[in-house]
Amino acid sequence: MKKLLALLFAMALVAAACSSEEESAGTPDSTEAPADGEGDAMDDEEGDAMDDEEGEAMDDEEGEAMDDVIEIEMWIAFSDDARLNFTQDRAAEFNARQSGYNVVVTPFDSYNTVFEQTALAIEDGSPPEIIHFFEAATQDALDAIDSNGDPIFKSVTEAVAGRTEILGEPVVLGDVVSAASKYYTINDELFSMPWNTSSTTMFSNMDILSAAGITEPPTTWEGVEAACTAIAALADGPDNCITWPNHGWFFEQSLGQAGADLANNDNGRSARATEVILNSEAAIDYVQWWSDLEDSGAYVYTGTQRDWGGTAAAFNSQNVAMLVYSSSDTTVITDDATANGFDVRTSFMPYNQDRPYVGNLIGGATLWMTNGLSPEEEDGALAFMNFFSNPENAASWHKVTGYIPITNEATALLESEGWYDESPNSAVASEQLDAAADTPASTGALLGNFVAIRDVVTLAIEDILVNDVDVDVRMESAQKEAQGLLDDYNELFGG
Amino acid sequence: MALIASFLVAIAIGAFSFGSRTMRGGAVGAALGVLGASLILGSLRFCMFGSEVESTQAVLGVVLAGAFAWMFGAGAKAVLGQKSADLGSGDIRTGSFKLGWYWPWILLSPTLVILVFFLYLPAYQTFTLSTKLTRLGTPIVRDRCLQNFSELLITSPALLVMLPLTSVAVIWGVGLWHRRSEPGSAAHGFTRVIRPFGILLFLFSLYFIFESENGGYQLIYLNTLIISSSIVILSMVIGLGLAYLTFGHVRGITVYRTLLIWPYAISPPVAGILFFMMFDATGGIFAAVADNWFGFNFPNYSTNATLARLAIILASVWKLIGYNLLFFLAGLQTVPREQIEAAAIDGANSLQRFRRIVMPALGPIAFFLLITNLTFSFFDVYGTIDFLTKGAPAGATSVSIYEIIRVGIETGQLGRGAAQSVVLFLAVIGLTAWQFRQSEGKISYGSA
Repeated sequence: MKKLLALLFAMALVAAACSSEEESAGTPDSTEAPADGEGDAMDDEEGDAMDDEEGEAMDDEEGEAMDDVIEIEMWIAFSDDARLNFTQDRAAEFNARQSGYNVVVTPFDSYNTVFEQTALAIEDGSPPEIIHFFEAATQDALDAIDSNGDPIFKSVTEAVAGRTEILGEPVVLGDVVSAASKYYTINDELFSMPWNTSSTTMFSNMDILSAAGITEPPTTWEGVEAACTAIAALADGPDNCITWPNHGWFFEQSLGQAGADLANNDNGRSARATEVILNSEAAIDYVQWWSDLEDSGAYVYTGTQRDWGGTAAAFNSQNVAMLVYSSSDTTVITDDATANGFDVRTSFMPYNQDRPYVGNLIGGATLWMTNGLSPEEEDGALAFMNFFSNPENAASWHKVTGYIPITNEATALLESEGWYDESPNSAVASEQLDAAADTPASTGALLGNFVAIRDVVTLAIEDILVNDVDVDVRMESAQKEAQGLLDDYNELFGG
Repeated sequence: MALIASFLVAIAIGAFSFGSRTMRGGAVGAALGVLGASLILGSLRFCMFGSEVESTQAVLGVVLAGAFAWMFGAGAKAVLGQKSADLGSGDIRTGSFKLGWYWPWILLSPTLVILVFFLYLPAYQTFTLSTKLTRLGTPIVRDRCLQNFSELLITSPALLVMLPLTSVAVIWGVGLWHRRSEPGSAAHGFTRVIRPFGILLFLFSLYFIFESENGGYQLIYLNTLIISSSIVILSMVIGLGLAYLTFGHVRGITVYRTLLIWPYAISPPVAGILFFMMFDATGGIFAAVADNWFGFNFPNYSTNATLARLAIILASVWKLIGYNLLFFLAGLQTVPREQIEAAAIDGANSLQRFRRIVMPALGPIAFFLLITNLTFSFFDVYGTIDFLTKGAPAGATSVSIYEIIRVGIETGQLGRGAAQSVVLFLAVIGLTAWQFRQSEGKISYGSA
């Protein structure tokens, strides 16, 4: 009898524990779900999403079941106010236009984080509908499959299926500017929807340059060296002459300028790349020039890899006279310079005068759509992506940031508005991309495990800058390491 | 050949670790050793002994066979020893629940469930993953045998075997010499002094078995060694010093103590951010002070390996001191006051009192802190590094835990990351075992 009582008591305890758990999990939903009209679950979602993705995924399903609004989840790699607000505002507009849809934007702090988190979500089987992937992840995204062997992503061209309008939103996929469509076209179609696209441009503090007697920003390596010598001679000049982030992208840009491929098989464009080339003459020349510029004190290394913030801060505070950077921040850098009382001019990324200039490539990211969506979800995702880059939105995105206008119509709109006369710095990135020859080198590489290979390059360059190791030797060992990474990747996906 | 060698090693180690002096015991031990070795090698399908597999993997196979033989032999010995102790001793060690044999299991089940699902299963998966080639977010998996491990090591199998074995032999030899020499003789004294340095010799020899090429594991090993040992030693020494200082009766002592303990409440990433704000060369407080008041350029720690390591060590030590202080203070309160007073009356100065009375009394606490600090310096330091240096410059502050996450998650190479975490796991197990051995008999926990 005692035994039985004890057992009953234990069971009661367990039951109590379980039910209290259920309650505590259930409460926030029941109070938050009937939120006010605009954007329904959106507001609470944003809060949850950052700390707890699984919880968020659960909420979605419940939300869907409760009302007939279809949720379209979108993960983006921007968490700064300007870009995140822009995206969320467009999502809110879209949700107002399309009563049956609710686009929910979840921000992450970097491309790498979205990449990691998506990989984890795929493992869980719950990836969002739209994912913001950067250019280096293109091959990985193409190859991604789930546990059934089905591809994770679906080609947007295939999904659009020749329609000119989806849910009343005009399709702009076919109007994407050539530099971006060249990069992202695989097997003759755009697999993902291009969004933020930039190139590397140089920002010059014209006040310091003209004090040193230079009227135009330098265009070549020699020009940069000469300008730096003149600036170093200034009595009250800046601490250093020039800087840029240690990011693999700049290395790739320099290869494009010199017409050197980063990978075999036409940079991975004619067939899957099986060899990575980090030790070509053009590559060694660039790293050597970079290292020499650092040794001479003209270039300053902030000591942090991929240091976009630190390098831009050095330029804004006039600690350097020139900054090679992404055109994505043209607007911000120009505005900051004006606020700090100096004149900034944008120009092409300086190239090696000893090699014929071939062309710079793009950087940035595209929007990928998950495979296996219902037709309604798919249409919603496609409609949003096309709405998001319609001429007005693409033009205002360009104005807010400095990313190039992604469609020809958006460019035309900006021209007709007289935007480029008003803000000549904003035109440079598009001009640089238009000036590029149509070669695999200046299109950019399609390469598996590219993110990790970039890391190898970045680390090798840091080693060279900080520890003054021999460029040839270090790039040779980086080459071996990167080749190993590519071989690993192809062993998994190349078969 | 390596296969035969691994079974010979397994037989020898199995028999030896089983520790029986009879012929039958030896045979049982050898059998256990072979069982252990074949279990582990069989589960990997003897892949490391293939003709086209590099010889380092074969060496690792022999080591694995030996380790499992030892685990089985020594494990069986411990279990049997426990059984016979139960039978022999007068203490009550066994009993039965009145309510039925299953009751203890029901009561244990919550703990067991947590242990199995959150500890053993993930650990098992990590071990499995460490022999695979795969990427984060893909279901595709390829077998890698022991390549994820062998690529961390030098390519020469001979050196790989000789270096650790030589250092172990030297340590053993010195120990033997010490025991055989006459107490009081010069040799006895000499060996007593150098014996504690054995671990350093062993750690030093391990440095050379790791791949030194750029991107190799040698740098990570060195970083971990420097940063972790500095953190542990400095935080314990400073913690003890401060505890001793704030133990006496000083005006406002509670305020001092509270202030000193505060940093412990700060999480490692926040410690990283704080030190970044102080030491950053462009926007940091110290840089501004140095620049504006003294007119010199504050060095940039993120381009100087020594300074970067120092920054990590400082941030971590600063955070740990409060914790150590707390425990040392509690420990100091248990030191018998009469003993100290008696010693003082007998003419012992404060240093002597500290060394002869306070330190031994703090033994158990110090040992506890040593283990927890070591765990902190191996694992929790990640947050500080991620916010302070991100492993820069050129990997000089990338310790093993940081590298595991960088390789396994950030670049998605799950198999490599898993292999490195197995290495870290072994290192922590090894160090903890060594500390237990070292402290055996030296630390008194007070009871009779």
